[in-house]
Amino acid sequence: MVRNGTNCRLRAEAISVDYPGRPVLDSLSLDIPDGKVTAIVGPNACGKSTLLRALARLTPVAGGQVSLDGQPIEKQRSRTVARHLAILPQSPLAPEGLTVLDLVRRGRTPHQSALSQWSRTDAAAVDRALCLTGLKDMSFQLLATLSGGQRQRAWIAMALAQDTDLLLLDEPTTYLDLPHQIELLALIRKLNHDTGCTVAMVLHDINLAARFADHMVALREGRVRHQGTPSEVVTTEMMQDIFSLPCTVISDPVHGHPHVIPA
Amino acid sequence: MQTLRLGPVSLTVQRRPLIVGIGLLFLVALAAVAALSIGNYPITPVGIWQALIGRADAISSMIVLDHRLPRILTAIGAGAALGLAGAMFQTMLRNPLAAPDIIGFTAGANAGALLAVLLTGGMILTGALAGGALTATAVVALAWRGGLDTHRLILVGLGASLSLGAGADLLLSYTDENTAADMARWLTGTLHARGPAEVTLIWVGLALLAPIALWLGFPLARMSFSDDTIAGLGLPLAPLRLAVTALAVALVALAVSVAGPLPFVAFVSGPIARRLAGNGGPALSAAALTGATVTLGADLAARSIPMVQLPAGVFTAMVGAPVLVWLLWVQARKGRL
Repeated sequence: MVRNGTNCRLRAEAISVDYPGRPVLDSLSLDIPDGKVTAIVGPNACGKSTLLRALARLTPVAGGQVSLDGQPIEKQRSRTVARHLAILPQSPLAPEGLTVLDLVRRGRTPHQSALSQWSRTDAAAVDRALCLTGLKDMSFQLLATLSGGQRQRAWIAMALAQDTDLLLLDEPTTYLDLPHQIELLALIRKLNHDTGCTVAMVLHDINLAARFADHMVALREGRVRHQGTPSEVVTTEMMQDIFSLPCTVISDPVHGHPHVIPA
Repeated sequence: MQTLRLGPVSLTVQRRPLIVGIGLLFLVALAAVAALSIGNYPITPVGIWQALIGRADAISSMIVLDHRLPRILTAIGAGAALGLAGAMFQTMLRNPLAAPDIIGFTAGANAGALLAVLLTGGMILTGALAGGALTATAVVALAWRGGLDTHRLILVGLGASLSLGAGADLLLSYTDENTAADMARWLTGTLHARGPAEVTLIWVGLALLAPIALWLGFPLARMSFSDDTIAGLGLPLAPLRLAVTALAVALVALAVSVAGPLPFVAFVSGPIARRLAGNGGPALSAAALTGATVTLGADLAARSIPMVQLPAGVFTAMVGAPVLVWLLWVQARKGRL
């Protein structure tokens, strides 16, 4: 469980989600600790993406509720929620002809209206997001001309421009090669360190999750089976329970994080 | 990008779309002057000016003010309404094929107008609105499978469009010759013999609807993202879609009731405007101006052929059909069809 004394603004309270013919999440409860980087892991089809989407009010829950600041999230105005919580969906699509700057500017949507299209706060937030992600020099490049890693950073910049305390990322490292995965996760760590924002992300790679997360949540068949610090969660027993994978867990000789070596 | 600020109000102006808008406005003005002067009785620009300020001879005055001006104003208004409706729909559904004239809304408004005239001898706008709204509801309902798939919507809409076109033909064949000749504009779209009634209708309608459309341009500029991204940004998807659909149907019905269907105007304006504006946005104002230019140009071309009165719709179709073929080819090549 989450340590006493840690506040949790975003919580799932016994939520259930059903897709036609099959329950995906089964009365699942989870608190996302404030100011920490949480990684949600688990085998394919364990419901980890659905959980993240439900936390971001993108997937409606059939039972239970997701609460943000103690209020049910679906009762709050979507625009208000978007000022506190940003989500980067898996492999997002952008219209053609968009530049990095155009994309990042769109992140300001929940703070704008037809009559307040570009306030000074908007300009400052976009500038900050571009600086934090190191995209300042590429502002005017077309999104389509960027490499996969740069494009993913641009999407993260868009979520950052939204200027929220909570950042949810659905498999942000998909389709990236190892150096770009490391670069991106290091960026997320740095953002958490610099801005104090809460991050919850779905990750496939257990070893990377153990290295870059403060808090880990392991799911199987729509239920939370293990959660805690990486050292508490990443064990031989957990790997057997969650993935049915016989393995040895060693301490990473460089960083000291738990490291899975499949048998 | 320039920002205009006044207290808490801030508006953004981008250079290229602004230049494109001014250029298109100039093009519309140029086409209007050409359309006022060209015809069986040519009038010089000076003659036009004199007629407009009431200093021309009776014949010139009558030709400019009673014949050509209403026709041109109707063409501009109808073209702008169709261009606006097309660009809104294409942006919302993220597919250039999803224009009101491809997915049956125009054919529905058209059949409704035709039916209203045949049954009551009037009520054109009501008929067009009802026909358009009914068709939109039916097409969306038929294409709905626990969600709206754009490709299914386009296929269902194409079917509806063809059936309604055939229905309109059938209705026409049951009427007497004189009425049928009058009704011809509801088959192809024509701007022949438009008067103050049509001018008032289309411009009052535009004055009411265009500001709402431009206001919706702000969320529409974000609707070319995937649904998840849009919802994540806090935009209410379902109410926005309903508002855009209702507005597009109203704009199409308005254009149809003054000028008939004018095939392909709604469909070609958006893609042309977006390529000109080049900022990845919906380019609504540019699409309205493109629609006006295309319609005015088509009518001018239709009038320029001596001895016959060709409907403008023939020429908008001649512009639109190649664009349709080209877009189908592009989409097929991208594997999106």
